[in-house]
Amino acid sequence: MVEKKLRYPTGVRPLLVEETARRRRIESRFVNILEDAGFAEVVLPIIDYVDPYASVLSRDSSRLSYRFVDREGDLVSIRSDFTPMVARALAPTLDESQLPLRIFYRGDVIRCDASRLGVDRELFQIGAEIVGDPSLEADLAVMNLAAKIAREFGLAPRIVYNDTSIASLLSSDERHAVVTKRALTPADIARRLTPEIAARLEAMAAALDPSTFALHLDDLDEETGYYTGIRFRLFGPDSRKAIAQGGRYDDVYQRFGAPAAAAGFTFTIDDLD
Amino acid sequence: MRIAIPKGRLQDRTLALFAAAGYDTPSESDLRSRRLVFQRGGIEWILVKDCDVPVYVEHGAADAGIAGLDQILEHACSAYQPVELDFGHCRMMLIAAPGAPPLTKVATKYPRIAGQWLEQRGIRAEVIPLGGSVELAAVLNLTSHVIDLVETGETVRVHKLELQELVAEISPRLIVGKNAFRTETTKIRELIARIENIVMPSGVEAPGRVVAR
Repeated sequence: MVEKKLRYPTGVRPLLVEETARRRRIESRFVNILEDAGFAEVVLPIIDYVDPYASVLSRDSSRLSYRFVDREGDLVSIRSDFTPMVARALAPTLDESQLPLRIFYRGDVIRCDASRLGVDRELFQIGAEIVGDPSLEADLAVMNLAAKIAREFGLAPRIVYNDTSIASLLSSDERHAVVTKRALTPADIARRLTPEIAARLEAMAAALDPSTFALHLDDLDEETGYYTGIRFRLFGPDSRKAIAQGGRYDDVYQRFGAPAAAAGFTFTIDDLD
Repeated sequence: MRIAIPKGRLQDRTLALFAAAGYDTPSESDLRSRRLVFQRGGIEWILVKDCDVPVYVEHGAADAGIAGLDQILEHACSAYQPVELDFGHCRMMLIAAPGAPPLTKVATKYPRIAGQWLEQRGIRAEVIPLGGSVELAAVLNLTSHVIDLVETGETVRVHKLELQELVAEISPRLIVGKNAFRTETTKIRELIARIENIVMPSGVEAPGRVVAR
């Protein structure tokens, strides 16, 4: 009896010979660039307990993962976001004298959002982060590295960034006004910045190539997730879809018991054509 | 820039709005043809079913569009909603036959909104998703209640049903994809300003969030 079902569960599919070859070529270029830049690879498990991430991931974002009960009766999920997993894996062994660390990782994540059309997907991602360096230089380093990787792939990257700590200066109504674009223009927000944030953004803008990087003060999501500082999205020729995104998330390691600042980015390889 | 125009109820007013805002919109004869994509004045206009506008914009297949709040909420569309339009307002209502039993089953084209509303109200009822002609469900006793849009109330009157409660005030909005806003900022800001100018020429404060009363 031949199994007739041809299709796969929503959002996943195999890569056959040509696509696999292409995927591997892209991967190896990434690995070369990252290793040249002093990053070392870690491998993370495909499933993990849900519990340890409760304080890091909002209810909405943990809903993005497939979850099930394992044989011991614990709730586990298939990985849907590398960033907290890297922190949980590294936190117990972090040695302050060895910071900052430059780490990269690659693999599939599976995102399911049953409530939304067409976003059930298995995505291949490669990401990198600098752990234990809270400086502006580290922000600049990850942003410039992301731009450099895009250029290595022949793209002219455009990176839109903002500082998510601005969100804490606004009331929730104001934050809503930002996301509906009804009020609070970039100029309004610029007047509200604390001297510290303003100085940081100014230093950043001065250091970044303006043909690649653009600061959008009103680019705030209603939920900033685990981001605490810079947040950026990298666009290639298709302006409708970000190829990479990242930023600074200084509290994530703390939640796993190791107070270490971190900033990084993730490329989604399927989007890199 | 690609702009999605909803076919049906909002189509004519939407095209008139963009024309009034100074955009070169598809002509009558364009629209009589079977084509769904029109290049005019540097803009690609696409004609899609009203319920699909949020989907196109959400996924970046269109940069902006006009969509009713009903469709925006039903698709959990995360696009920006910078301008609420001054036409096509209606109400989403809970409707039942007179003397209907307590709410246990509700038929609707909006299962997500209905589910959320029932949850908020602490009502345990089954949601039966239907594709259209929802009022029939109450007439034929498929369900005790229906949740649907009410514009003039004519459909409700014809079927001898009654309006019970307001679920949400519904209005069409200009919606803009987040990534379009990030990457085509200048064009999109101009679009918003031009539409806003037509809708609120005197610079009246934009209405706030529309929530159920």
